[in-house]
Amino acid sequence: MGVGEGATEEVRPARELDCVGLYCPVPIARTKEEIEKIGVGEVLKVEADDPAAEEDITRWAKRTGHEIVKFEKDEGILMFYIRRTK
Amino acid sequence: MAKILYVQTSGTDTPERLYAPFILGATAAAMGVEAAIFFMIKGITAVRRGEAEKIRIGAFPTLAEAMRQALDAGVKIYICEQSTQLLGVPRGDFIPEGTIAGGATLNDLALDADAVMTF
Repeated sequence: MGVGEGATEEVRPARELDCVGLYCPVPIARTKEEIEKIGVGEVLKVEADDPAAEEDITRWAKRTGHEIVKFEKDEGILMFYIRRTK
Repeated sequence: MAKILYVQTSGTDTPERLYAPFILGATAAAMGVEAAIFFMIKGITAVRRGEAEKIRIGAFPTLAEAMRQALDAGVKIYICEQSTQLLGVPRGDFIPEGTIAGGATLNDLALDADAVMTF
């Protein structure tokens, strides 16, 4: 379960990344690339359907210090809202 | 709490290598150590649904029994589904107790663990 799941606040992503159809380790590598294209404090939305991404992106964010402010799962599509912290 | 990680890379073609992580994991739990097993490469063949029930060697119980004891003791199981692509076999159809995970999770578990053992 992602950090911030169930949060009701409105989160407006500055950038979106579609990783549907991509498998480990591509979603992690692409997320790292894309988060560097937004400003500190802004949010990157990542969509993925690799079931490994739920655990992987959550741990990647914790390890790299970025914050998952919202997480949703809808019919196999995982949606992460990740705030760049540094 | 101390943490230990077992990495299972061996598969059903070497059943004698499959018991140790479950038995060690259950033992770790009894010692107050948090244990996890990460199945990757051929290791994923052991956590396909229904496979552990078919394995029984020497005087040991079935692999499914060893797995159940570990799970009941609180040992966490992670499965690298992407290893299916390495082996050229279909994705999915793993035991429901396992968490599908990938490279970031394995690295994170290894960095967090006080010890890592590979089988």
